[in-house]
Amino acid sequence: MEKYPMIKIKDGKKYFYRFSLNQRIQHIILAVTVVLLVLTGMPLKFHDASWAPYLYALFGGIKYAPVVHKVNGAILMLLFFYHIFYLIYVIRKYHIEPLKKKGELGKWDAVKTVLTQKMVPNLKDALDIRDLMKYLFFLTNKRPDGDEMTWKEKFDYWAPFWGMVIIGFSGLILWNKELFTHIVPGGVLNFLIIAHSDEALLAGLFLFIWHWYNVHFSISVFPMGTVFLTGYLSEELMVEEHYQYYVKIMKKAGLEHEILPPHGAHEHEAHEGGASS
Amino acid sequence: MIKTRIQKSCFIIFLPLFLTITFALLSSSYAADIGNCLLCHKYPGISRVDEEGRMRLFYVNEPIYNNSVHAKVKCEGCHTDIKEIPHKPAKKVDCLVECHIVEPSTEKKFSHKDVEGFIQSSVHGKVDKDGNEKKYAEDYPGCKDCHDNPLFRPLSFFKRVRPGISEQSLSRCKVCHKKEEFVYQFYNHVTTRLHKSRNPLNIAEMCGRCHDDPALVARHELSTKAVISYGETFHGKAASFLDERIPDCLDCHVNKGDSVHQMLGHKDPASSIHKDNKGKICATIDCHPSASPKFATYGVHAEFNLTQSPAQYFFTFFFIVLTGGTLLPLMGVIFLDLLRRFFPHATIGRRK
Repeated sequence: MEKYPMIKIKDGKKYFYRFSLNQRIQHIILAVTVVLLVLTGMPLKFHDASWAPYLYALFGGIKYAPVVHKVNGAILMLLFFYHIFYLIYVIRKYHIEPLKKKGELGKWDAVKTVLTQKMVPNLKDALDIRDLMKYLFFLTNKRPDGDEMTWKEKFDYWAPFWGMVIIGFSGLILWNKELFTHIVPGGVLNFLIIAHSDEALLAGLFLFIWHWYNVHFSISVFPMGTVFLTGYLSEELMVEEHYQYYVKIMKKAGLEHEILPPHGAHEHEAHEGGASS
Repeated sequence: MIKTRIQKSCFIIFLPLFLTITFALLSSSYAADIGNCLLCHKYPGISRVDEEGRMRLFYVNEPIYNNSVHAKVKCEGCHTDIKEIPHKPAKKVDCLVECHIVEPSTEKKFSHKDVEGFIQSSVHGKVDKDGNEKKYAEDYPGCKDCHDNPLFRPLSFFKRVRPGISEQSLSRCKVCHKKEEFVYQFYNHVTTRLHKSRNPLNIAEMCGRCHDDPALVARHELSTKAVISYGETFHGKAASFLDERIPDCLDCHVNKGDSVHQMLGHKDPASSIHKDNKGKICATIDCHPSASPKFATYGVHAEFNLTQSPAQYFFTFFFIVLTGGTLLPLMGVIFLDLLRRFFPHATIGRRK
């Protein structure tokens, strides 16, 4: 992890480390396969719709689109398993083993380490959501100061995670239905089809409405946030979304005097020139 | 210049040749129009409004008719009440009349009469096992409710079989059957009966004309709008994308080796879909050969319906609530976020 400096300076602007190359590649595989899965799955769900045959025909119609769907599903499942091993590896190597070396690994410390990982939802997320609601309903002029991972990012992480468990495993079983029904009755397939397709619709809408709003359509990032390619987030967005973490990193790097004011209507904003882009 | 002259002369030479061949081919199709009915019925516009106020079209498309299974039948063979031209409104055709052709193996006059026996003992018969007329007997299908006009089409595909006449198999007939016309007629006749001339979607739509009719479904206390629920399965969806390899209604509802006219209700122990026989349907060599009998407990006709499939109804309902419960609040946040960006500093509370 040392190979990524926390702050990179390019053309006089600061950029903050977010995602390693490994994580960015995982995300791109996820994004491409999910889009292809949606494009080859939705025409089947909405087979009566006027657009369905045309979209399906782009992927070879009923003869080949299911093959495209299965190949992409298989890649995504492999990615999912890889990600699980990746998580275990990273937590062990960077969080549990250092404790072990120091001899500080108690009975509950391993559990505690897992539960305090940056992607695990915590009380601050609940408070941030409450504070965001206050801000959105004009009850306050202060936006919540986000930590390294905000509730939005955790939502964006755990929603596909849950989705992949539901859709992935139901898909795998539907693919191998003859084998599976040697164990359970065929009636289970009815429920798996509902789970597979309805959860997929939820996942698709979630990604293309919520996730794409946050990373594409929101005024702060339009037309596209670049962090998923570069792995580094600009200082303006860091201030806007992760102020608490931003201050922590700046202090750690010894740049206290360069800390920008938080996003929002603060008293000193006027003479500092504002933080938002 | 020279090139165009050659082209011109080629055109002049080949045009009559082309026309001759075309006419020769056309005249080689088998017209059964001995009564000269096409004198009038060849005109595409021939029609009238009948006593019930419906527009009736009487046009007979000769090339299509000549390629149909009935190409060798004279018009009067089925329209038996027509004796003169011009004629009065004709009666409906009775498909069970003794007809037109001498069946070569028995040398008796051919008839579809046997089908009547099959139908009467099937789930679609108008009388029950004791010979009493069933309730709503008029709802049960006659020949033409299923064998409608789209059936009169040239020999086409069967699951996994290339459409059209196979020259290869025709060449085998030709060894003994020298007369081209004989080969064509019998080959066509036999293979048309062996092949399906409709794709699964056509078949499903045909059954759906009655089985998706809510009034009929209610009247006969059927558990499902059969084709609508079939349409929600992978088979039905594939059918709607014109897949020809997947099973339609007839593939599961008729015992292998029986005529489709011998379809039985699910309570009949001899029926292919009776709970004791169901396991065998899916596991055929063409479909899911490795499937266990349990596989067939899949609910092909399950509907999003509280009384028919309560468990599936609530399961689907859960996902609807989950989807709405996730997306609506998030879309609310997006909307408020966009709105807030117009007035980033405004507040009705205490300024911080």
